[in-house]
Amino acid sequence: MNRLKVSAFLLIILLCALFIYVAEDIPVFGDPNTPPLKSVELFTLEVDSLASLLNQHIVPEKLSGELVKRGFPPPSRVEKISDLEGEWNVFIAKEEPRYAREEKYYWVRKEGDKLRISRYAFVVRWIEKGLEETAVSNMVTYGLADYRGYDTLGETSVIFTAGISVILLLRRRSRL
Amino acid sequence: MIPFIQLFALYVIIHGAGGPGGGFQGGVVFASAFILYVIVFNLAGGRTRFPESANTIFSSLGLYLYAGIGLLAIIFSSGAAQYLNYGFIPFTSDFHENRALGMDFVEMGIGITVMAITASIFFDLSQQDEKRREEEEEEESK
Repeated sequence: MNRLKVSAFLLIILLCALFIYVAEDIPVFGDPNTPPLKSVELFTLEVDSLASLLNQHIVPEKLSGELVKRGFPPPSRVEKISDLEGEWNVFIAKEEPRYAREEKYYWVRKEGDKLRISRYAFVVRWIEKGLEETAVSNMVTYGLADYRGYDTLGETSVIFTAGISVILLLRRRSRL
Repeated sequence: MIPFIQLFALYVIIHGAGGPGGGFQGGVVFASAFILYVIVFNLAGGRTRFPESANTIFSSLGLYLYAGIGLLAIIFSSGAAQYLNYGFIPFTSDFHENRALGMDFVEMGIGITVMAITASIFFDLSQQDEKRREEEEEEESK
């Protein structure tokens, strides 16, 4: 019995340690610049002459080739992020069924002699374009009723179906 | 108390676009007004205030409103089949303003359905309970 207690205690300590180990990596809530909220890292390249090309707003062949090889949409335009040295936004062209207009898609930054290429997280576009596209200031509402309108229609019909089932089960009469 | 609850529910639905709130929450708050009425008075009184026929109609009306806004969007987008893209419905002259207004109507539809269904489930359950109590009383009297 005593041995059971000791092993249970050890197990609890082990679980606590595991929790702390995992919780360390959870980003600060609500900070838009934490890595998982801002971008997903794709790969790195040697700088060489790429930085000067990017500064001249030219998409380097090497970069677009690498992106297409990995199955990402090809870049079309580069823009320097103002007041930040060595960081660029790379845009992708309008591509009818998937992107209705030009989209900010990749984030390139220079670290030492490496170029880190990342893809912007969806949240970034959600926050930046939502108010402009829908004229509604509440981020949750335009998500619920506009971007995910089909989903909400389904949810409403789920509630409707639940109500109808309760009516059919409990209101045992000939007329509804 | 009841009119205040209902007013608050309408506020929650209408201000879903600007602050916290929306159709689901507002609908439940509205239904809680009926539930409060039944708790304070009785089931028959509640049923005269919110009759069964109106309840059944409202429960599907909200869903029809939602799907109808989507169909209007198809009609006004003239063949592009933009279902639920509210921008095409000409409430105002601006595309993005239209989207905001369409969202408000959709929220109202959600609110109506949720309100009617919540009230309907509550009425049905309490009716069942009342029926059973009557049966027990009859058995006891025998």
